Amino acid sequence: MSIVIKDLHKSFGEKQILQGFALDVQDGETLAILGHSGSGKSVTLKHIVGLLEPDQGEVWVDGQAVTELKTEELYELRRRVGYVFQMAALFDSMSVAENVGLGLRRISGMTEDAIQSRVAECLDLVDLSGFQDRRPSELSGGQRKRVGLARAIATKPGYVLYDEPTTGLDPVTKAVIDGLITKMQKELGVTGVVVTHDMQSAYRVSDRIAMLYEGKTRFLGTPKEIQATRDPVVRAFIEGRPELLQEEATGAKEES
Amino acid sequence: MTSRLLAPLNWVGGRVLRGVSSLGRWGHLLTDTIRALRHVDVWLRLVLAQMARIGVDSVPIALFIATFTGIVLALQASYTFTGAVPLYFVGVLVGKTMILELGPVLTGLALAGRVGANIAAELGTMRVTEQIDALETLAYPPVAYLIVPRVLAGVVMFPVVTILAVALGIAAGWVTALQLLDMSTPEFVRGLMLFFLPFDVWFAVIKAASFGLVVCMVGCFYGFHTTGGAEGVGLSTTRAVVVSSMLILVLDAFWAVTLL
Amino acid sequence: MKRRNETLVGLVLLAGLATAIFGTMWLQGWEWGRDVVPVEAVFRDVGAAGAGNAVKVRGVRIGRISDVSVLPGGELVQMVMRVDADVPLPDDAAVVLAPESMFGDWQAEIVSQADFPHFNFAAPPGSDVLPGYALPDISRLTATADRISENLADLTDRIGIAFTEETARNLALTIENIQEVSNQLSELIEQQAATFGEVAAGVDEATGEIGRAAASTRSVFDRLDGVLAAGEVEALLTDLRQVSAGFEGLAQEASVTSRELGGMASRADSTFARLDHILEVAQGGEGVLGRLLGDPALVDEVEGTLVQLQLLLEDVRENPRRYLRLSIF
Ligand SMILES: Nc1ncnc2c1ncn2[C@@H]1O[C@H](COP(=O)(O)OP(=O)(O)OP(=O)(O)O)[C@@H](O)[C@H]1O
Ligand SMILES: [Mg+2]
Repeated sequence: MSIVIKDLHKSFGEKQILQGFALDVQDGETLAILGHSGSGKSVTLKHIVGLLEPDQGEVWVDGQAVTELKTEELYELRRRVGYVFQMAALFDSMSVAENVGLGLRRISGMTEDAIQSRVAECLDLVDLSGFQDRRPSELSGGQRKRVGLARAIATKPGYVLYDEPTTGLDPVTKAVIDGLITKMQKELGVTGVVVTHDMQSAYRVSDRIAMLYEGKTRFLGTPKEIQATRDPVVRAFIEGRPELLQEEATGAKEES
Repeated sequence: MTSRLLAPLNWVGGRVLRGVSSLGRWGHLLTDTIRALRHVDVWLRLVLAQMARIGVDSVPIALFIATFTGIVLALQASYTFTGAVPLYFVGVLVGKTMILELGPVLTGLALAGRVGANIAAELGTMRVTEQIDALETLAYPPVAYLIVPRVLAGVVMFPVVTILAVALGIAAGWVTALQLLDMSTPEFVRGLMLFFLPFDVWFAVIKAASFGLVVCMVGCFYGFHTTGGAEGVGLSTTRAVVVSSMLILVLDAFWAVTLL
Repeated sequence: MKRRNETLVGLVLLAGLATAIFGTMWLQGWEWGRDVVPVEAVFRDVGAAGAGNAVKVRGVRIGRISDVSVLPGGELVQMVMRVDADVPLPDDAAVVLAPESMFGDWQAEIVSQADFPHFNFAAPPGSDVLPGYALPDISRLTATADRISENLADLTDRIGIAFTEETARNLALTIENIQEVSNQLSELIEQQAATFGEVAAGVDEATGEIGRAAASTRSVFDRLDGVLAAGEVEALLTDLRQVSAGFEGLAQEASVTSRELGGMASRADSTFARLDHILEVAQGGEGVLGRLLGDPALVDEVEGTLVQLQLLLEDVRENPRRYLRLSIF
């Protein structure tokens, strides 16, 4: 089972964000999505869990068409998908432990002790042992992000969508988180989609990399392939050289 | 040229469309809320905390308002009745107006400010910081998790707070009558009992419950449909208070027409 | 935190519930700790009395009305009162309903029936149910007077059929009642004159008129036997017409001289106008008084309405303020 996106279109008012984006994530694979800020990466992730409805196109997760699901079935599916929000989206009325444990309480038959030990375990994984009783407002941005990650993986979902999990973290913590993502994939067989701007992370955790550009899939391939590509748009992005985009624009003009 | 001619049409059309779509969203949220009632496992544990926040925490402000209302009612009644009507009618007026009208409505308006704004701001913030999305990804239906407990708590607690307010308002009127108007307790109590009907209490309870429903529902509605960051949260909060205050007065008239 | 919430919510809920329940019970006049017994009474009509109104004995509040309902059959109204158990009630206890103040609240007073022989108490169906009577209020006064004249007119119509000694005696009896009423009217007006000095002059005159009218009525009765014997119906009717004219004049005068008694006077006026009508019919009629014999119920009814008028007047005399103050509002 896997995640398949076909011909996805989405616009907000006049703004066309996605215009035929397509992707398929193999079972057990970790795929990274690159793209400029505001290109629609977060919007894409939200379509995968049905938080947004596409204007056109299909989204399949675990063999089910997300757009066709009844409310109940959608919630059933969401139990199998973890979502790490870009801004963490922690519940500020709750402690860290309650945040992480919230998904677990939805699972019937879990005792309070089991929940607490699972919470501790997840906080351990993101290097935040002993933070249980803190409030989100007492955490730094990086710490919040890690609590958000712990919350997403607490229920041991088969799919995890990471929206910029390492942005704003120091290099060491970044490496820890990347290690965690890899570990999730290797040991638990998690299928992952990682949105990131950080090429180092992308190479480290992903089996394949997709690039979203102007609402479409500009590139899809392994880290090796992306490093070898000659597409100026992709190279501008991974090398951080906006002047290449200029070339692309003039080249396009000449062609026409 | 044509565009200038069409501008008023556009304006009217836009207004109507927005009006209809917001009605549609209302209907949607209402049916969602009713349907979400079946997720008992989700909302049941949360009702208590909301009852504490919506009800218990509102008791002081409601009592404060009621106390002064009772005092003023007693003084104004005695002022109005001078000579022509026996003084025990102060008791009638304080009791009847407190129970039937001022208790429920003033409490409702105060709580529209306190509770309605609180709910709209909280849910609005949750919306713009994606906490509501986060709830969905954790498989919690947000309507059942956020709206149902608040609305239920409002429907249950508004009448309770109102009853306490009414009781204190009458007591304040009574003390005023004794201390400032030279009335005796039997006189005041005679007036209080004179035209009292148990239905009056029911009327107050029904009114207060409907106010609770409206205030919480409106707060949830505007909070839930907040867009656009801190500014949007501010806007939702203002709208929630204004709209629920207006609806309280409309409902007040509605109940007076249908039940009295 | 959670503990605290639970306790607080529980506390506030209970406080609200307790306030609502005990407050309602208290305002309804619930009697805590007092020994209370239910007392039942029946009425033909309960005026504006209802649940919650005071029940008194000799002016002291001893309980409240708890329920009012029409009994099956629709003839009687049953009232349940809850009164202090330790207040002794008279052996021939009866209940009189009357306005407690002029603001629409009524009261039930438990009295000894013997003290109010004229009151037309409803007959109770059982021995443990008290007879009751509701005092008519001012608006019903007029209605009663009107009914009397209707009945009199009816009566006169029937007089045309036959005129025997028996029916003549009935008529005499009835007329005697009318005279009694007029006496009472004059007494009443005398009393009013004393109470309201400023209209005394006009009322005095009116009283004099009433006295004269009464005297001439008396003369009718004095001559009645002879009249009957001689068959001088014509003469009787002439006399009656004189009486009636006197009454009418009185009524007009009374309404002019005393505004405070305006209601009273107009009532008298309508009554007397009817009386005049009777006489006209009687004079033109052939075989007077006949139908009266065939319909004793009518006689009863006339008697009944007269009694009511009497009671009313009695009440007006005893509590003139009750009626006169009403006209202020
Ligand atoms: N709910 C919404 N309503 C209106 N516009 C939206 C909404 N969500 C996203 N957008 C718009 O869609 C575009 C893409 O947003 P998105 O959050 O997907 O960007 P992104 O690729 O994740 O960027 P970043 O790397 O900065 O997070 C943006 O221009 C944003 O303004
Ligand atoms: Mg994003």
